[in-house]
Amino acid sequence: MSRNPQKIVFDAVAKYGSGREAVVQILTEINRELGYIPEESIVAVADAVGVSNAEIYSVISFYSFFSTEPRGRNIIRLCTTISCEMKGSREILETIEAELGIKAGATTPDGRITLETTSCIGLCDQAPAILVNDTPHTRLTPDETRRIIAGLE
Amino acid sequence: MSEKKILTATEQPDTGSALKKSLEMTSADVVFEVRESEIRGRGGAGFPTGIKWNLAGAASGSNKMVICNADEGEPGTFKDRYLIENYALKLLEGMTIAGYAIGSSHGIIYLRAEYPYLIPIIEKAREDLIRENLLGENILGKDFNFDIEIRPGAGAYVCGEETSLIESLEGKRGVPRNKPPYPVNSGYLFRPTVVNNVETFAAVPHIILNGAEWFQDLGIGDCTGTKLFSISGDIENPGVYELPMGSTIGELLEAAGAKDVQAVQVGGASGATITADELERSLSFDDLPPGGSVIVFNSSRDLMDVLENFLEFFVHESCGQCTTCREGNVRLLDAVHLIRNGEISSMEELEPFFQLAEVMKIGSKCGLGQTSPNCFIDIVTRFIDLPDGKGGA
Ligand SMILES: Cc1cc2nc3c(=O)[nH]c(=O)nc-3n(C[C@H](O)[C@H](O)[C@H](O)COP(=O)(O)O)c2cc1C
Ligand code: SF4
Repeated sequence: MSRNPQKIVFDAVAKYGSGREAVVQILTEINRELGYIPEESIVAVADAVGVSNAEIYSVISFYSFFSTEPRGRNIIRLCTTISCEMKGSREILETIEAELGIKAGATTPDGRITLETTSCIGLCDQAPAILVNDTPHTRLTPDETRRIIAGLE
Repeated sequence: MSEKKILTATEQPDTGSALKKSLEMTSADVVFEVRESEIRGRGGAGFPTGIKWNLAGAASGSNKMVICNADEGEPGTFKDRYLIENYALKLLEGMTIAGYAIGSSHGIIYLRAEYPYLIPIIEKAREDLIRENLLGENILGKDFNFDIEIRPGAGAYVCGEETSLIESLEGKRGVPRNKPPYPVNSGYLFRPTVVNNVETFAAVPHIILNGAEWFQDLGIGDCTGTKLFSISGDIENPGVYELPMGSTIGELLEAAGAKDVQAVQVGGASGATITADELERSLSFDDLPPGGSVIVFNSSRDLMDVLENFLEFFVHESCGQCTTCREGNVRLLDAVHLIRNGEISSMEELEPFFQLAEVMKIGSKCGLGQTSPNCFIDIVTRFIDLPDGKGGA
């Protein structure tokens, strides 16, 4: 069960301080725990650090890992950069889209999985590759991909 | 071809031996040794590391910082990941030596968000070093403290540029700063700051242990040291290869097993695209920028697909600060679409886009916008046959 957004901000501030330089770390913590950064935590971070809500929002919008929309319990990030594309990332993308019934950028209606495409994730020697939450999966085949998806809670 | 592996050799010098030797030298002598080795930064730009350390050491200001750039976002690059997975202790030791050399007690590793699985590896290395008194307070009984903190990024290629990396560490949008001031004088929180690539730090213990001259001799010609290359694409054995700096691209391809080569992209999306006739060219700061990424394309590949993929990457990753880069990359991508559907069919019609490419190089603030037109120019002028008139090499 996740903690409430204010509590996460409170604890993160206790850990990283309330200086401006703590903002990305605090946001990372919220984003990790809730999967996204809800409005009430934006307000709480802005208050704690002493900057405007807009300022915090502009930081969030800059980074691809941050989201202001709720996301799935699991996030699949599929690399679409050239080395993965040459080794069949398109086929893997189609496999996942068919398996989940959603397009890249969307979340399954049951909130289980969000699918995103991403720039190079540094696994080009083991292409095609995806990152599922914090875990890399490499040299994927469609079958292996389906198996990985089936194993996600 | 010589088999001179240093950074990735199976036999590694004892952990802490280079640090121990450094602490028996004056900090000025450590900087001197690094400077004499003529090692140039392994993150792409190739600035001489010894000069950077010298400037940071001489800069006035307290709380100096040692920052390791582990943002590794250039498409096709994974050597830093490989170094951290296998040689994290050497990286941390190199950073600690840098701390001693410039008079800093605080190191940060800015690790890209896409590498969360490396965090436990770095944390374990840090704990091991602290246990051995090679990190932390009064290192090896000397009056020298140094500790290292891991700070994860949040997914932005441009944060690999050192000033935007610093902005990001300061909790802001990762937008490149104007230079000067340079980080060595005013970096993280206005403190004198050294930013170096993972591979640069990992080479330092070897330089200290074996000496500057030894390091110089590892390279070919004027180049010094060895270099790691990440090789992927149409190749038998993709992976990380360590070769003497100044080796030819052909030697690297031979080591990794390439057949039927049409083109090679050296230095990532922002690097150079060369043809199969140019394999004698050298991986060095004087010729092909040896950033680390080498992607091979065989004759079945349509280089327009490659170009489109790279430009989509740049459109996505531009921080948007400079009009030339923010709009320019979109226009170049438009040109690719226009060529594809036949609306551009001659070099004359492409002329405005080449002019735009020049403007982007001059008018963009950081390396992203300055180098993103390279792939467009290289591929369109050398690999494409336009219906009306000459394209291709
Ligand atoms: C758009 C852009 C991205 C960059 N990405 C990286 C990177 O991922 N890793 C890196 O070490 N240097 C990167 N650099 C180069 C850094 O700005 C800087 O030169 C380097 O970290 C200095 O370390 P070095 O001298 O040891 O190479 C990038 C530069 C630009 C312009
Ligand atoms: S060149 Fe591009 S990425 Fe670099 S500062 Fe300008 S807009 Fe940002």
